[in-house]
Amino acid sequence: MEERRGTLLLIGLVLLHLVAISHQVDRGGVSLLEKLIFGALAPVQNAVAGGLRGVRGGWRGYVDLRGVRTENASLRERNRQLEVALQESQYLAAEAQRLRRIVGLQEQLAMETIVAQVVAREGVPWFHTFTINRGKDDGVTLDAPVLAPTGVVGRVIAVVAHAAKVQLLLDRQAGVMVQLQTTGATGMTEGQVGLADSGSRDLLLKYVVSLAEVKPGDVVVTAGLDQIYPKGLMVGRVSSVGAGDGLFKQIHVTPSVQFDQVEEVLVVKSKPPDLDFSHAETVTPARRGEEGTTR
Amino acid sequence: MRVFWTLLAIAGAALLQTALGRFSGRVAYTFDPFLLVALYCALTWGETHGMLTGAVAGWVQDVLYGGQVAGLSGLTKLVLGFIVGLAGTRFLLVGPAPQILVVFAATVIDGLVLQSLASVFSIRTDELSAGGLAIRGGVNALVGVVLFGVVDRYVGRDRHP
Repeated sequence: MEERRGTLLLIGLVLLHLVAISHQVDRGGVSLLEKLIFGALAPVQNAVAGGLRGVRGGWRGYVDLRGVRTENASLRERNRQLEVALQESQYLAAEAQRLRRIVGLQEQLAMETIVAQVVAREGVPWFHTFTINRGKDDGVTLDAPVLAPTGVVGRVIAVVAHAAKVQLLLDRQAGVMVQLQTTGATGMTEGQVGLADSGSRDLLLKYVVSLAEVKPGDVVVTAGLDQIYPKGLMVGRVSSVGAGDGLFKQIHVTPSVQFDQVEEVLVVKSKPPDLDFSHAETVTPARRGEEGTTR
Repeated sequence: MRVFWTLLAIAGAALLQTALGRFSGRVAYTFDPFLLVALYCALTWGETHGMLTGAVAGWVQDVLYGGQVAGLSGLTKLVLGFIVGLAGTRFLLVGPAPQILVVFAATVIDGLVLQSLASVFSIRTDELSAGGLAIRGGVNALVGVVLFGVVDRYVGRDRHP
């Protein structure tokens, strides 16, 4: 009897999942349940990230202190103090440098942006996402472009009060309309090349016609045609060019952002007037994917 | 009480994944703490608890680390929790050897089913190679068996009702 009840429960839950997934695929956007779970757990992730930053700083200091023990005994104590101070300074200098670059970029951009810290990154091999510590209350909106000093990181795909989930350019569902800076030929980057564990983090650049002149090293920037990313932002450089399937070339692009090392990002709060589509018909991310622009 | 411990374990898995991800994004390719929680609950408390734990753990994983569509991991872990729980009541799956086999197989099946489900719903995901899946299964199995042993020893277990 109990086994039968378990089987019925399994069937019911499987059906419920299928309906929930289909609903999201059909309508796009973020479900209430997803919002609730994300809203509840994002602050915990934030706290863990903050704690780890402190522990890492302390640990680095500790490791270096152990090395100092072998030095001259009379200078040991003095060395310890200096070493700790130096570690702190280096850590602060590195952080200041990162922040300077972020602020420098912020000043260059003709858009209102906000600085956010990455609190969690890529937890499963199937998707490529970050969680950042800024959300709706800070002015972050769905589909907002996310940038690093070296280029485009991705876009916001879920947002709650004080956190947001960012889909990276590496994700297979992510697409950006781009153009080659040299020739102006347009195309679309789409996820990373190869399997998740292949070691490659190159992007696939699709729909560049065979007649276009492309060579390794060419700079790839956003084209501003996908209603999400402003025009002219750095995406990466062409790493290889192949013949493709006849109509289009097969191009790989090395992203300009090293996603593993991103600590702070800029989230675009308001897009330039030519990219303000607030009066246009609303197109959900899933629908947009079907229509072949950006997923 | 077991619900409390289960929720605590899922929260622990989320914290562990967040902490490991801070040091290396590559950890995600070889280790799935959410699956370990679901499997442990299934082996310890049977199919009903296993599938419910799998569903909750999967949803938390989907929401925190998944893509635009949530529920894929939830569904995969729900089914795995049920199957492993049922197997746990039919066979004697105690001790390191059977558990290594169960966790390895479950991890590989989890990956394959998730990739297939995503394809059915036209959700594009990255895929792991056969070698990648095997490594993920192996690491999960080894870490899982050690963790299961530690939990059994220090926290104690309240076996199938």
